[in-house]
Amino acid sequence: MTMDHGGVSCSNPVEAATLMDYWLALLPSTDEDAIEEHLMTCDACGNRLRQVISLSESLRTLARSGSLTVVVSDRFVKHAAETGLRVREYAPARGESIQCTVAADDDMLVARLAVGLTTASRVDLSWCEPRGVEHQRMADIPIDAGAGSVICQQSITWAKASPTMTLTARLLEVNETGEEHLLGEYTFNHTRTIPGPPGWE
Amino acid sequence: MYVGLSDADLAPRIADGDSEAEAEMCRRMGPRIRLYGLRHLRSSSAADDLVQQVLLKVIEALRAARLRESDKLAHFVLGTCRMVVVELRRSSHRQEALLAKFGGDLIPEASPTPTLDDRQLARCVQTLKERERSVVVMTFYDEHTAAETARSLGISEANVRVIRHRAMAQLRDCLGVTL
Repeated sequence: MTMDHGGVSCSNPVEAATLMDYWLALLPSTDEDAIEEHLMTCDACGNRLRQVISLSESLRTLARSGSLTVVVSDRFVKHAAETGLRVREYAPARGESIQCTVAADDDMLVARLAVGLTTASRVDLSWCEPRGVEHQRMADIPIDAGAGSVICQQSITWAKASPTMTLTARLLEVNETGEEHLLGEYTFNHTRTIPGPPGWE
Repeated sequence: MYVGLSDADLAPRIADGDSEAEAEMCRRMGPRIRLYGLRHLRSSSAADDLVQQVLLKVIEALRAARLRESDKLAHFVLGTCRMVVVELRRSSHRQEALLAKFGGDLIPEASPTPTLDDRQLARCVQTLKERERSVVVMTFYDEHTAAETARSLGISEANVRVIRHRAMAQLRDCLGVTL
């Protein structure tokens, strides 16, 4: 297969996934050596590697921005704090309702939801409004059965802009037939303490 | 005139004192050396330093006709890259004097860096499945290895690789990036 990239072509292009693994230093050394020999003669694959680097750098910036809603690990949160990010964390017990807010200089917002997950195979995290209307469903989240909690990073960008409001997080075990079983419910009474955008009250 | 020449054709011309062949060799090899530097040194400025130092050594060797098999030029450049990276890690200041004397002539034209729409990327990442998004965020936040990410998320290392590859393919597709 010949592949053109940036006005130059390659008759034996390195696979895109391999280029990404090369950039992330995840290849065995023999594979890495072979890739480097190829890149030293092939500008088409060099141009493709530049695309990989650009995507990686943008993803790193995005991952560090705290603006994504995503399930993360305890180690991830600790590492973020160790590298100087200001992490605001709330850790309600099952059934607990807590008061919460965010400050202008917070970098990351996480909810640590205490729960036993030893038997669960699929778990969904549902964010609901006070009347029970589902606002967001995070289906089949990654779970560590031994962790004793699910840690969800909420978008700090969204939290800083949002008005005073109440949100309920519900952890649901979902079986093969789609039936749901409540594992835990946690209520967050968010108070706005910094000015938000006009019209969002 | 020199653009159509192979790498192997350049080496003997440089040994004969052909400065245009030398410039063409630098134009070709500079961006390749820089990519190697970005991968191993993780810094644009360090990669630029690597380019200068490697080209200095390669030109010195070619001028002295020390490259016996001219078709091995790329291999020779790669070997020099590896050697210089080891040296750079040992001492970042050893060749400052040489660079001050010759360095200005050895800065390659920067290859255009592709740019991405960050807002579109954020939208694309939010469309990933939960496991995919977790793996992507944890992988790229601090370049966690598959083993670290697997341990953190309670899934196997092989599964992390599969999830990451699938997510990256979906992101490239969503962004319209063709590799």
